[in-house]
Amino acid sequence: MRLPHERSLGSQILRDLIGVAVLAIASLAAGLTTNHFSSAPLPVVYQTPEQRFDAELTTLVATPPFAIAPAPTVGLDQFRTAIDGKSTLILDARPSAFFEVGHVPGAMNLARDNFAADYRRLGTVLQNAHDKPIIVYCAGGDCHDSRLVANALLTLGFSNVSVFTGGWEAWSGAGLPTNTGSKP
Amino acid sequence: MVSANSRRDYVVLAVSLAVAAVFVYAGVDKLRDPLQFADSIAAFAILPAMLINLLAFGLPPFEIACGLLLLGPRTRRIGALAVVAVSILFFTALASALLRGLTLDCGCFGAGAPSRPRMWLELVVDAALFTGALFIYLRSIPRLSARVASTEL
Repeated sequence: MRLPHERSLGSQILRDLIGVAVLAIASLAAGLTTNHFSSAPLPVVYQTPEQRFDAELTTLVATPPFAIAPAPTVGLDQFRTAIDGKSTLILDARPSAFFEVGHVPGAMNLARDNFAADYRRLGTVLQNAHDKPIIVYCAGGDCHDSRLVANALLTLGFSNVSVFTGGWEAWSGAGLPTNTGSKP
Repeated sequence: MVSANSRRDYVVLAVSLAVAAVFVYAGVDKLRDPLQFADSIAAFAILPAMLINLLAFGLPPFEIACGLLLLGPRTRRIGALAVVAVSILFFTALASALLRGLTLDCGCFGAGAPSRPRMWLELVVDAALFTGALFIYLRSIPRLSARVASTEL
């Protein structure tokens, strides 16, 4: 005979399941709190390693101009010599639309405004150029894109990166040969 | 002389301690690197991005709580049922990954290289944890336990 205070098996299991649900909610709250106060909190929505890498790269080229480290610079003559020597990787930091209209022959487009995607697209080329000389240029004049890209590359471990300060303005202004389209 | 009842109590206690040790260890280990654990969950390709980090945040404290609850006689039942539930979850996820031909690091007991033999081993460990926890739970329900005891007399 069942005593009045005894519960049925079903209600005991139901009570236990409610206990487990409460435990799950409390654990989630504890986990969210721990994450919130941790030194490197994760976002609530998961990001794949590729997305995290892209975000990191984008942060690298979003440095305010006053925080740009003084990367070594080269003039037009040095830039021409480097292009003739064919051992230097030339990178164009302008947006792809400008690159396609005209760029220095042999240059590859590593646009500041699309840095993460371009960096991954040029993966093999850049990997092979880790210790090779790299020269970055942008529009010329007061453009910051080449400095930002050069700085990002130095941060990523590229050892020999400089900036052609004259940029596209100096190159095209000197009547030197140019290429068009997306190919180098 | 040790009675059958107290022998059963010792067995329940021993199994509880073993399952609790595994769960506390697994929970503490996952707490050390939540990002890596989130990547392990993502590798199963089951949950949407919205839920992956929430599981990575909540599961380690849940496992530790399960382990601690198994240690107390009054809380053992809830702890055991929680382990049963979570073992079913792990087993289903691992079995589905194996059936889909995935090779991954499940992140169950610390990080490691993705390996199918290790996944099979973890599936067996999960089955053992499920069996142990179910045993503890059934032995901890007073009415059921009393019924079993009376049939054994």
